[in-house]
Amino acid sequence: MIFTALTAVLAGTILSCFLAILPGLHIYNVMGLAAILIYWLQSMGIAVSPEVYLPFMIGLVVGWSVLNTIPSVLLGAPDESAIFTVLPGQKYLMTGRGYEGTMMIGAGSLIGLFMLVFIIGPFAPKYLPVVRYVLNPHMHWILWVIITFILITEWPKGGNRGPAGWRKFFDAWSTLSAGLFTFIISGLLGFLLLYRAPVSIENAFQNIMPAFVGLFAIPWCLLNAVSGAKVPEQRVRDTLNINGDLLLRSGIAGGIGGGFAAFFPVVTGGIGGLLAGHATAQRDERVFMMSQGVSKVVYYTGALMLFFVPGLYLTRGGGAWILKGLYTPRTVGDYYLALGCIAISGAVSFLLMSPLTKWTLLLMKKVDYRLISVFALGIITALVFSITGRVGLFIMSVGTGIGLIPVLYGSRRLNCLGVLLLPIACNMSGIGEPIAAFLGLL
Amino acid sequence: MKGIAHFISGVTVASFCPWAVEAAQNGDPTYFILGAVAGILPDTIDFKFYRFFYPHDVRIEPDQTTLDPQPIADAVAAAVSAAAEGKITTLKLSTIKMGADDWRQYRVKIDPEAGEVRVQFGPVVSTGQVPQPDTLPASRSVGLAKFSAPILQSYEPTYTVDIFDGPSFKFTRNDAGQVEIDFLPWHRNWSHSLTVGALLAGIASFWTWHAGVVIFGAYVIHVIEDQMGHMGSNLFFPFTKKRAPGLKIMHSGDAFPNFAGVWLCCLLIFWNVYAAIPNPLYHFTFVRFMMTALVIPFAIFGIVRWLLMLPDKGHPESIPTSWDI
Repeated sequence: MIFTALTAVLAGTILSCFLAILPGLHIYNVMGLAAILIYWLQSMGIAVSPEVYLPFMIGLVVGWSVLNTIPSVLLGAPDESAIFTVLPGQKYLMTGRGYEGTMMIGAGSLIGLFMLVFIIGPFAPKYLPVVRYVLNPHMHWILWVIITFILITEWPKGGNRGPAGWRKFFDAWSTLSAGLFTFIISGLLGFLLLYRAPVSIENAFQNIMPAFVGLFAIPWCLLNAVSGAKVPEQRVRDTLNINGDLLLRSGIAGGIGGGFAAFFPVVTGGIGGLLAGHATAQRDERVFMMSQGVSKVVYYTGALMLFFVPGLYLTRGGGAWILKGLYTPRTVGDYYLALGCIAISGAVSFLLMSPLTKWTLLLMKKVDYRLISVFALGIITALVFSITGRVGLFIMSVGTGIGLIPVLYGSRRLNCLGVLLLPIACNMSGIGEPIAAFLGLL
Repeated sequence: MKGIAHFISGVTVASFCPWAVEAAQNGDPTYFILGAVAGILPDTIDFKFYRFFYPHDVRIEPDQTTLDPQPIADAVAAAVSAAAEGKITTLKLSTIKMGADDWRQYRVKIDPEAGEVRVQFGPVVSTGQVPQPDTLPASRSVGLAKFSAPILQSYEPTYTVDIFDGPSFKFTRNDAGQVEIDFLPWHRNWSHSLTVGALLAGIASFWTWHAGVVIFGAYVIHVIEDQMGHMGSNLFFPFTKKRAPGLKIMHSGDAFPNFAGVWLCCLLIFWNVYAAIPNPLYHFTFVRFMMTALVIPFAIFGIVRWLLMLPDKGHPESIPTSWDI
């Protein structure tokens, strides 16, 4: 059994290496496809043991959450949880330090894995069920308060020059208005997807995927494809300019942000990163980048881990929802299996990070940066079409239109998360259906 | 304190109100949202509205190509001199944006003892105010301009100008003939007064007094938190015209007090919603809860940090900038 699990987790990790390098591709889409394959095999009378698919899926998530830093920094194609690392990451890239930036976030991921296995892991079964019990009736207002925070804390980027008056005010509020508009229009898209799901019932679990791809991945690929930026010669540095104090601070900031996002429904890694960045008031961009690495791993891997915590068995994140359809964890053994898989996959992924980063840099030397973005654009479009068909492509196009607003106006891309936050917060407060009825969706 | 600390403080105030927790248990988040908004409202008024309408007599917008500090020094000294002659003068130092995340840093020192203004340009910094490598200007001359007026400083004598919106000043001659320097005159003024908090609470009370209590509590906690810093607030506008000096216990951007404040607020909210459960499944006391979630983790953090800082005293490789002002 141990050998089987070990082989499966390594297979998942190795596969995630290739998937992580493909910009814009989300691991939950691949897990969804893997789940369909398992169902199909079972329908053909071929049983797939949980000791195979559980470690395999965990390997996929852990490997991807560690290694998708590479396209985020080097190819500028972040998923939602990595949108904050892009700016400092791209700055490292444009000053020839792309390798250093990637490895720094990788170091953060390693801290995140350490926290999950050695700190959160042992204490989770004792404390998290209590936290869940107390906070469960209050999730809805926590979500509303988070939405309020996202909207109220966007900083006006203009209005810094010129004489006082309305002109200055409107200049400043152009970014803020774009942010508010993005949130509201994304929220309306979310209502539409929730109450009038256009994707066929067989692929309902991928209902939100085309919108997410459109909102987050496509605008970035398009921007890269049309940009005239030339990536300078990259240097590979043997050491990272960090110390224990920076590691600790980033671990705390990222751990809290990622943990918060993993535990609370609908709160994503991007939101967790935002809250943690504000709460810990970190200014050093090294701490900032590493903390985002921590947050990303704790969010994706932690959310999956919570599914196995004895006494909690919390379903958070797309990965856990996909696994829930296949398996129900019952024993402490399941939890230890998950923790062991996270440890092994995390260690292997981190060791693969340096060679994969160097390989990507080599690829970037030979193939034009923009061509890679066009290639990525082609792959994710094909993926959306293959899973959700023409209707999915249409949703993706609508999402792209909305996702381009913050890119063009310089507002927060996080506002696009209105697609999830607004309809779900409304539903949790019991006002979702009246609003849907008002919009003519019922 | 940082925005999130004020924001969560407002939520915490709401959690102390039994009607807010009860409404939340019944699916109504209004009081918590009101608390959050009122908690951050004073800064929102200042930074998103009032500052764009605050007029400046002198706006200094440095030329990023020449990086000449002398015109800046001359303009600041002239503003001080004009104030000494009785003309109230407001002055704004603009930032220099170099790219999406890059800003040219410069410093201005108004030295009351030497009776001069000194200005020098520094490196390009990120929005996190971290200096970028190899970005110091080739010439780092110091711009120097004299003024002849006694100065009364209410803040620090050296001002660093780098990210987002630059600092502004109001120079006024007082009854003793000194020129008072009012740093960021549009900030922590009328918006940060207890009277405005009471007024807003009064308006909200037309809906329900419950909302008024939440708003007043959240607004007041913001003003109290800001009073821990250096600048202080104009506590009883319009009865008072100037900011009452802060207690100078912390700077608003300090990482540890901000984080500790946010964490403490989260714990208090948790405790308040736990205490509102009629027959809880789990039982623990407030002291045990605080020991488990606050005292022990912070003690461990302190020990681990001390151990990790032993090798290099907590000073990682960084790019130092020397200033000659």
